[in-house]
Parts: sequence; C-alpha cells; structure tokens
Amino acid sequence: MSKVDISLTIGGPQGGGIDTSSNMVSRAFAYAGYNVFSVREYHSNIKGRHSYTHMRVKQERPRSLRYPLDVLVALDSDTIFEHIEDVGENTKIIYDSSFEGSELSKARMITNDTAGRIRKTLEANGYSPDVTGSIKYMKDRGGIPIAIPFSKIVTSVVKEGTPSRYYNTLGSAITLAISGIDREFAEKAIRIIFASKEKVVPSNIDVVGAAYEFVEENKLNGIHLEKRESKERLLITGNDGSAIGKIMGGLRFQTYYPITPASDESTIIEEHENIKWLSEEHSKLAKGGIVVVQTEDELAAITMAIGAALTGVRSSTATSGPGFSLMAEAISFAGMDEVPLVVTLYQRGGPSTGLPTRNGQSDLLFALNTGHGEFPRIVLSSGDVEECVYDAIKALNYAQRYQLPVIHLIDKNLANTLDMVPNIDVDKVGVQNGVRVEENADFKRYSLDNEDGVSPMGVFGKNIFWMTGDEHDEQGHVTEDTEIRDRMMEKRFKKIKTAEKEIPLEERVELLGSKDADVTFVTWGSQKGPILDVIDDLAEEGIKANLLYLKMFEPFPTNFVRDVLTKARRVVNVESNMLGQASRVIEQHTGFEIKDSILKYNGRHMTEDEILRAVKNLIGAKEHMVVLQNGA
Amino acid sequence: MAHNYRNDVAIDWCPGCGDFGIVSALTQALGELNLDPNDVIAVSGIGCSGKTPHYLNIAGVHTLHGRAIPYATGVKLANPNLNVLVTGGDGDLMSIGAGHFVAEGRRNTGLTVILYDNAVYGLTKGQAAPTLALGEQTKSLPRPNMFSKVNPIALALTSGYTFVARGFTSDIKQLKEIIKKGMQHEGSALIDVLQPCPTYNNINTMDWYRNRVYKLEDEDSWDPIVTEDNVSSLQEKFTKAYNKGLEWDEKIPTGVFFDNRTVPPFTKRLEKNLPEYFSNPPSSQVIASPDGKTLVDPVETFRDRVIQ
Repeated sequence: MSKVDISLTIGGPQGGGIDTSSNMVSRAFAYAGYNVFSVREYHSNIKGRHSYTHMRVKQERPRSLRYPLDVLVALDSDTIFEHIEDVGENTKIIYDSSFEGSELSKARMITNDTAGRIRKTLEANGYSPDVTGSIKYMKDRGGIPIAIPFSKIVTSVVKEGTPSRYYNTLGSAITLAISGIDREFAEKAIRIIFASKEKVVPSNIDVVGAAYEFVEENKLNGIHLEKRESKERLLITGNDGSAIGKIMGGLRFQTYYPITPASDESTIIEEHENIKWLSEEHSKLAKGGIVVVQTEDELAAITMAIGAALTGVRSSTATSGPGFSLMAEAISFAGMDEVPLVVTLYQRGGPSTGLPTRNGQSDLLFALNTGHGEFPRIVLSSGDVEECVYDAIKALNYAQRYQLPVIHLIDKNLANTLDMVPNIDVDKVGVQNGVRVEENADFKRYSLDNEDGVSPMGVFGKNIFWMTGDEHDEQGHVTEDTEIRDRMMEKRFKKIKTAEKEIPLEERVELLGSKDADVTFVTWGSQKGPILDVIDDLAEEGIKANLLYLKMFEPFPTNFVRDVLTKARRVVNVESNMLGQASRVIEQHTGFEIKDSILKYNGRHMTEDEILRAVKNLIGAKEHMVVLQNGA
Repeated sequence: MAHNYRNDVAIDWCPGCGDFGIVSALTQALGELNLDPNDVIAVSGIGCSGKTPHYLNIAGVHTLHGRAIPYATGVKLANPNLNVLVTGGDGDLMSIGAGHFVAEGRRNTGLTVILYDNAVYGLTKGQAAPTLALGEQTKSLPRPNMFSKVNPIALALTSGYTFVARGFTSDIKQLKEIIKKGMQHEGSALIDVLQPCPTYNNINTMDWYRNRVYKLEDEDSWDPIVTEDNVSSLQEKFTKAYNKGLEWDEKIPTGVFFDNRTVPPFTKRLEKNLPEYFSNPPSSQVIASPDGKTLVDPVETFRDRVIQ
C-alpha cells in the first residue's frame, strides 16, 4: 500500500464541537490502525471565535504538521476566510453549501484587522470578499471545493433537536468517508466519545451513516485506507504527559491557579487521583491519593506547594507566564531554603497577557533568572509528549536529590499537541528519594559537612528544625555572620556542580542525526519534531543536516554544545521567540555566536514546510534571519 | 521530662514589646496541651512577628512577607495530623497577605492564626499598618494616617473563620487559654492580639489598652459556641460576635467572639474524595518500590486515554 500522509484541518466556532470533531477523527484513524498527530489552535474566548485542529495522519507516527492541507473542513464560514492560504494542489475543501454568499464584512467573530487582511488579499487578486470569492480563490490555487448540504443531510435522519448540533459529527464523518476510512471506525469513535451521554449515540451514528451514504452517492471517496494492525496506544497531550509523569514520579501534592494553558494539567491529575498500581502489593502500600488544590492566586499556589514539600511530600505547581511572574519571590525562597519543588512552566505568547492561548518560547531567559539574588536551580525542557512524561518524573527526582527549585518548561504548542504514544516504559526513569535524616538529636538542616553541598533533609512532623528566607546558620536560624554567609552561598552552589557531574549528558543535550552534516540545527521544545522531518526532507535533496537538541539549560552542557557548534559547517537556530533566547544562552556559556536563525513569534505552531523553505533561503545565503508566518 | 517549648535563641525584640507576652502565652499553652512537640509547626511571615518560630523549640519556618497562611496550609494539607500555627503581624496578614487571610476563611483548613496587632510596621521603622485608625499620627509618621483601618474581627467573621477571638498581650493567662481553645478548634482560628509597640506606636500604648479592655467571658450570658445541637442560634451568635467586633474607642472586648463547630474543615472535605486521607496522608505515602521504581501503572490509571 502506498504511503499515507494526510494533512487536515477542521475549523469552526469555539464551543462548536471542534474538540469532539478532532477526537472523533483522531480515534477513527487510530482504530483503523493509523497514527495521528494534531495541534489545537484557539482564541482566548469561550464561544464563537475561530478555532481549529491541525492534524496529520500517517502509517508511522507523525511528528510534525505541514501545509498545504489535503483536507480543509469548514464548520463555519469564518474557517473558509481564515484558511484561504492553507490550500494547495488537490486540497479538498469541505463546507456547508449554505455558506455560499456569506460576506466577510458580516463575519462578526473575525477581528477587523484579520478581516481587513483577508479582504485585501481577495480583492487584490480580483475575488469578491465573501465565501463564494474565497472558495474560488482556493479553487484557482488547486483546491477542490466540496459543498455539502449540511442541514439537509442531518434532517434526513435526525428529526428532533437542533440540526446544527450535529454539524461537527457530520463534518468529521464526511472527512473520514472521503479519506477512505471504514464506517465502522467512525461509529466506534462515536460510541466511545459519547459513552457518558448514551442518549445521543444513536442519532450521531445515524448522522455518520448519512454522511457515508452521501459520499458514496456522490462518488466523493478516493482511495480506501485498509485496516492496519496496531497495538494499544495512549492518545494524549503534553498536558496529559506531564500529569502522567508526575503521578508516576510520586507526586502527591499539586497546586494551581486557573491559567491557560497550564491548569488542564492540574485538573487532569485531579481526575486521575485514583491511582491504579502495577501490582496488588503496591496498592496496599500506597493508597491515600493526591491532594490537588486550586488556590486563591499564584502567590499561594507556589507557597502552598513549598509548605507541603516541607513535610517530605513530592510537591509541585503548574502555571504559565503571568502566574510564573507572581511566583518569582517564592522561587527565590525555595532556592535559599533548599526546598525540593517542581514548577511546570507552560509557555505562551508574552509579554504581559500577550497571546494567552497561543504558543511561545519567550520565558527561557526568565526561567533562568527568576527571583532575586543568586541561587541554584535546574531548568529543563521537553520537546514531545513522551518527553513530558519522563521529564516530569526526572524533574521530581532532581528536586529531591539536589533540594532546589526545578523549572520544567513546556510550550503551549506541546501542551496542546495530541499525540499517540505506543508505550510508556515504567522502568525507564526510577523514583529516587534524596538523603533523609534518621536521628533527630542535634539535627542540622543546613549542615555544611557535605562534599556535594546536599545536606540531609528533615521533614516537618518528624524532625525539629528551622527555616528562614534570611541567610541562616546550619540549624536554620537567622545569621548575618560574614563567614557563614560565604560558606552557605558556596554550599548552595556546590549542588549545581554536583548535579552537573551526576546528571547524564544525554538527559541534557542530544545530537540527533548524522554527525557529519552541512547544516546543524539548534532548537529546544516543540520544534524538535518538525526539524527532524525537515532533516529527512533535506536528505532527499542531498543535503545532510542534524539537530543539536537542547533539553537542559541549567546546568548547561557547555562543553558538548561548544564542541558540536565549533565543528559545525552551518548552524541554524530555530525558536518560537523574537530574541533567539536559547542562542543567547549558548553564547553566554560557550562564546559561540550563531549567525543564522529561523524565528516565529506570531503564536502559531511551526510547520515542516515553512522551516524547510526558510532553511533553504538561509543556505542560499539570501538572508541570515527568517521570521515564519504560517497559521490562522 | 516536659518539653521546653522555648529554645536558647536570643530574642531581639525591643524591651517592652508586646511580642514577648505572645511567646509566653504560646509556650505555656503548648506545654499545657501536652502535644508531641514534633506535631506542632510554627509558620510566620516577615517583620518582628516573623521571628517567632526561631524562638520556639518546635519545627518552624519564617517565610515570605504575607505568605505565612498558604505555606501553613500546604504543611497542614500534606500532613493533616500536624497542629499548624501562623504567627503574623497586622501588615503581614491584613495588608500584603490579606487575600490569603480571606481565602483561608473560605477553606477553614484548621490553622491557628495569631495576629500580632500593634498598628505599625515596626521593623521598617514605624509606618502605618492596616489596623491604625484614620487620622492617627504615630510618632514616625510625617503626617496623619490617610487610610481607614481594617477590623480583623469583622474581616475574620465575614471571611468564614469558625473561631474568632481577641487577646491582650499583657493578660498572658487569658491569651494562653484562647490559644489553647483555638488550637483545639477543628477549623481555622483567628486570634487578634492587641499589643503595644513601645518604639513606634505612642498612641495605642499598654496603658491605652489597659484602660479599655474588658472580657467577654465576664458577661454571664456570653456564649459564642455553635454546635450541631444549637445550630439554630448560628445567625444570632454571628451577629452578636460581629457587633462586639465593632466596639472599639471606649471599650474593647477581648475573649472568644465566635466558636462555630458546624463547618467541616478543608481536611474533612478532602477526606470525602480521598477516604484514607487522615490515615495515609500525602506526607506518609510510599511512592516507590525499594529498588526505586514507580508503583503506578500509567496505562491503567489513564485508561480513558487508551486507544484499542
């Protein structure tokens, strides 16, 4: 069978069932044995504004998204306007025939600046600023419009209720039928998705049936995608991945204040606080559950997590940029008082409220410098959903081992990436506790008699000791003694040297791809997947490329990075921010200045095609910096 | 031998400071309650009051300005079997930490919050604190106070504290009894402690207070306790407590204003979701096998995310 590689977008109004559509289509492809990878894009809005899922389907696991689309499914006319540039040769454009004639000027939920931009494009090219003109614009660029009488099809099988409530099921079913997925998988997806709302299952199944018949009658179906063998897989996001890792890693206390895109992680943990154990024997040991607290603000979220950590529990909080700004003072406390604490920092577009529901990687320098004064910390980053799982466990381990704040960076794009993970390896990352004091007598929480800088830890409830944000003596009492001050500063920083020695290099940085390369990409976070695909694309064109993939920024893998970069022929830095923050960190540590960069700060996910185009421009020495602009 | 709740760390408060009376009452109360010293934790914020944990022979943490309550809540929720004290100043709890003070009333976690109320910020040289009255000019203020004052008793009542009381630092015996009652109370307690700042507050002096305070318990009919058996008296007792809380200029009541035992603490609310919460709280759960492996089956725990 030929290679399957379908790029697809389903768009509609926020609150109009796009998540359900995305879930249904992903599941149906998955039940048929294919792999799906998708990203959700949405406004900071509850109902009405343009929202979509960008998806890719392959036999093997996709790791990036690309344009142009193979299928665009428009559940409202705004989707047609917003995505006119995303179609190309043979893109099937599925939309409700009733949208014909809808005017852009009446698209109330598109802001004036976006509508103005679309209008300009259409009018400059001689098209009318409405759905009809937009469809023609796309058709002239190779698109294949497929107008579907949504209302007619739904009302032919559903006699009660509002027909438009079924439009997302209909659009998804048409998509699956046109893509050649057997009807049984679409129906199975419906039964699973609506398992808790059994009443609506039959009517949705009827709509699926009507959709498949319509596609059959009108001969819209292309190739048939045969069922492939597949193993059990988890369909999870980056938010899910971090939650799973934290639960595996022994987290028993999590705090949060509601913020996009971080709070999902906490509610996911709360929904799964009823842990299932690997063996019966464990369940006797470990019952009790996880405490998840929604606090009054982020100041309370982090300080409550610290308070819990003082009892010996593995404790964490999750937030995004604005909340993290509020946490700065307490991060400094955790550094000073040597508190094992994990902060999962979901990055979105800043500054200020910025792009609250959009992607960004602009908090790296902040994470490295948050909090007043000088104190050690560990900063690590994940680049795909599986890494979120294992990194969350590692973050909890590092916090315990080195008794310091650990900041785990996950970008919004990754938080909202829905990926299929075939297997979680329960042996891959262990759960190791730090050094605990046994005896209470004369216990010194900040004992200076430790080669590695790590003092044995005591916990509230078992040991009597003191802590203070002031400089302190070994017992934890306030002191301003000059000698103790020097020794405590040095002790705290000794821990980062210990971490540098102990944490394996491969947990901090990787050189992916061949050693011998014409182009060496440098990146971190969610660009990992798209760049690996671009490396394959370049190989087909005879250009050898590899990727220096950064996972840990503190302690920074200086020697390895310097070694790779000074030997590289051409280095291209790729980041979702304006300043090239990782390249600044690299230069600070290694003295190596990266000249070529591909940056994106419009808040949308990077796609394979735009990185490929950009790197070719850089290779052609046309420019040294390309700013990417894909995405609605 | 009885545990000595005062350690040998030298106290650096000013001579005549009201804080001494609080430490005396507190250490006496702890001694009389006969608790395991490991089970009592002191949490403070910043300022003169913030130093208190260092002077007590129990585990303690001197945290950030305003954040004592959430730190203490974290300790208590991770190990609900601990007795957690909060010692904070009026600036700490009523200004920079006021949001947490209100939220704690809603949670009713079971903290004993002791408010060091002297109407000034001492450690930063005598600025006006939230309990200083409008128009008052204590000696280091360049001009009279521009803010109205907050009423800690009224704020605690309306925030949901289920035990609300006031002590006076020179009456150690009464204060000790109030602290004991507050610690024995299952929900969260606010104990407002009137105290002079001899260095910066030349208005609300020891004598100023002595001339005004009277004890609620001296009124025969005073009964602030609400239980399931007399729950119909809740509104009446709340209203009485609130009205007593408004008394100030001529006569200032001390004692227990309100003691409502009918609201479940946050820990019991958690127990409804986590049945073994008290017997196996987060702080004592085993999280790894002896060889350092996870105990959790991720796929079974996230069965709802599995595609078959």
